Amino acid sequence: MADDGALMIPHMNNDVRELQDSARRVLAGLGLAADEAASWPRIADLGWLMISTTEELGGLGMGLAGACALQVELGRQLATVPFLPAVLAIEALAHGALADKVQWLERLTAGEIYVAVPLADCALNVQRDSRGALLLTGTLLAVPSADNASHVLLSTLNGEHVGLVATAQPGVTVIERATWDTTRRLFDLQFDAVELEEHHIVASGSQAQALAMRLAVQRDFLLAADAVGGAAALLQMTVDYLQARTQFGRPLALFQALKHRCADLKAQTEAAEALLLDSLGREQMDSADGIASAELAGKAAKQLACAAFATVAEEALQLHGGIGMTSEHNCHLFLKRALLNEHLGRAPDSYETGIADAFLASCQPTCASIQTL
Amino acid sequence: MVAEDSAQILRQQVRAWLQANVPVGWRQAMTNSEQAAFVQLQRQWFGKLSAAGYATPHWPSEWPGGGRSLADQKVIYEEVARADAPRLILFFVALYHAACTLLECGSDAQRQTYLPKILAGEIWCQGFSEPNAGSDLASLKTRAERRGDNYVINGQKTWSTMAQYADRCLLLARTSKAEVPQAGLTYLLVDMHAPGVTVRPIAQITGDDEFAEIFFDDVEVPIEERIGEEGEGWAVAQATLASERGLTLVELSHRMRYALPLIAAQMRDSGREQDAALRRDLGRLIARVDATCALADRYLLKRISGEEAAGDASVVKLYYATTLREFSLLGSRIAGLAGQYDRGFMRGATQETGNWPVDFINSFNWSIAGGSNEIQRNIIAERMLGMPREPRSWQMTAR
Ligand SMILES: Cc1cc2nc3c(=O)[nH]c(=O)nc-3n(C[C@H](O)[C@H](O)[C@H](O)COP(=O)(O)OP(=O)(O)OC[C@H]3O[C@@H](n4cnc5c(N)ncnc54)[C@H](O)[C@@H]3O)c2cc1C
Repeated sequence: MADDGALMIPHMNNDVRELQDSARRVLAGLGLAADEAASWPRIADLGWLMISTTEELGGLGMGLAGACALQVELGRQLATVPFLPAVLAIEALAHGALADKVQWLERLTAGEIYVAVPLADCALNVQRDSRGALLLTGTLLAVPSADNASHVLLSTLNGEHVGLVATAQPGVTVIERATWDTTRRLFDLQFDAVELEEHHIVASGSQAQALAMRLAVQRDFLLAADAVGGAAALLQMTVDYLQARTQFGRPLALFQALKHRCADLKAQTEAAEALLLDSLGREQMDSADGIASAELAGKAAKQLACAAFATVAEEALQLHGGIGMTSEHNCHLFLKRALLNEHLGRAPDSYETGIADAFLASCQPTCASIQTL
Repeated sequence: MVAEDSAQILRQQVRAWLQANVPVGWRQAMTNSEQAAFVQLQRQWFGKLSAAGYATPHWPSEWPGGGRSLADQKVIYEEVARADAPRLILFFVALYHAACTLLECGSDAQRQTYLPKILAGEIWCQGFSEPNAGSDLASLKTRAERRGDNYVINGQKTWSTMAQYADRCLLLARTSKAEVPQAGLTYLLVDMHAPGVTVRPIAQITGDDEFAEIFFDDVEVPIEERIGEEGEGWAVAQATLASERGLTLVELSHRMRYALPLIAAQMRDSGREQDAALRRDLGRLIARVDATCALADRYLLKRISGEEAAGDASVVKLYYATTLREFSLLGSRIAGLAGQYDRGFMRGATQETGNWPVDFINSFNWSIAGGSNEIQRNIIAERMLGMPREPRSWQMTAR
């Protein structure tokens, strides 16, 4: 109720605002955790996959902030479509050096093909064979909807290459890993001496490292956006439930012990959202310094948002009582998505320690000493 | 970009000015200092800061130092925090509570009379709370009786910050016994030097005495000193409280951001810089502090654009207060036993000094004053989430 529209970037560019508004309506129409096969063509038709790419490359030019605005809405509805990895692949190609990238981008943004990206930190071993071909070996983890992907975007462990590999070929084994979160379908991709073809190399050397770093940052922001949307929707659902459910002859929402818990969750959700939007409005990834600064901001946004979503989910289950433990109620879908979100991206604890390490290093020379007392 | 350039130029100016003007060694001077020294330092620093136009960045553009964009306000707060300048706590109520109330609800004549006095260094205090009216502020009993062209005040206020130094008081008093208690309240400006006003400082648990009781004994207040109409004091008080809960926290959040090196310094001093568990806690705290700043900034932006909604200020205050508590608790935990040795206290240094037990205690200023955390939670639940209010009637059941 009071929450509607609260997830808009204030003073954000009006186009993004309008798109986010319409996305909310469309997704509400499709319903919670709507069928992936039915929703994917819809979001492609609506042009959402064009959101982040520049107008020169045929996109809508709304950047990462635009993609995050949509991901917030997708998070609200526990969307099953692999929008997040699709956007990452599109971003990689847009910033990469493939000779035929314009054609790739056309097909990707139209949803004709889907290129998957792992949502966990992982990379493949690479070796040159006698012909000089690059051969990839190892396992990619947490690749969403890989069975629908024509290719997967990957990095090599030595940091030398970011490239595309077709998923349907000898040497690539696609294994579905059922997760407790049923709103996403994750796969392992095993590679056994699979060639990374020259014309599929998106970036090499220092550019590959910069691109991998950029993608990890974007992944953090998009995961944060998903969590912000999920947390807001779940809190609303919980408050609605407490309003409707009566015990002791009154609505549960009248009990202050429960009101205060909801208020704390509201503050945490608002804080996560404010941090995400503030960072998106501020960070610019057009230089190495910019990417380094965005990396820290992305880590903070992801850590805070995923922690907030997990807390809301934990509290929501408690506040729903027995009904929340039943499979036909939606509570558990949010909970399981929140739990998985905390484990996607970088290793969970590395967010906190990464932020602290950078801070400690930066305040070394000028650090105030404990004041003389 | 032009806006960025101008913010950059402002930053250079403010930084250079601060370098030349921040009182050197003020922390040492304020440690276990006499009150007189505290008042003198505050007055001097306020004089300099307001003359330079940096004391009132949140005021509208018609007033000296005012009309700053969010970006420029942030630059000033950040630079002041970075330079580790004293906070103007003696002038806090004048600059925020009083000014915002006058700007929002005062008459033109009142603004023309009082805002220049505030700029010239008048000290104000807030007389809302009473011994029997804290969270339930609307139940207050201090009376204002109309006699001719005056109101005559009788009653007692308490916990009034800096009242012992104040020239003027924002007083919320009862002019009638209406059925709805809020309807009988009237907002007055009271001269603290008027006959019949007595102030008694209250010793606090830090050793400081930042707040005081005020007794009003037939104190006469001319009716021109009323803000808003008689009986409309509650609405005016909301303007005061909104400024206290939201606006002040833009500056204070950035202060907290700039105080984070204290934790790093404590880790170093305690030889625990490499402690992985502490690093994790620090990383989490940094993210929270960043979010506090982002929330406060967003609040200010909404206020400027007229999009402020019920409960917004409460979210900022609740999140700030709980983050500040965590800040001081983490510092305390790292400092260990040595942190518990009594090193006295520093007047006017507020809540981030690295003197952890005092910082911890001072963090309660923000979880109790200006409406406690529990009251903010009520507001968020009822006004933002639409959850029902407590039933009004309550009777003592027979035992
Ligand atoms: C450092 C400091 C400075 C202050 N400065 C000023 C000042 O300058 N001017 C001024 O007028 N006042 C000032 N105050 C007073 C402050 O506004 C009150 O202390 C505050 O409103 C709480 O009132 P109380 O102390 O009477 O506590 P009470 O209202 O008695 O509350 C006691 C406890 O009960 C909780 N509680 C009360 N009602 C509810 C409820 N409905 N639901 C759930 N929990 C509830 C409270 O949260 C608190 O934890 C200051 C206070 C402090 C600590």
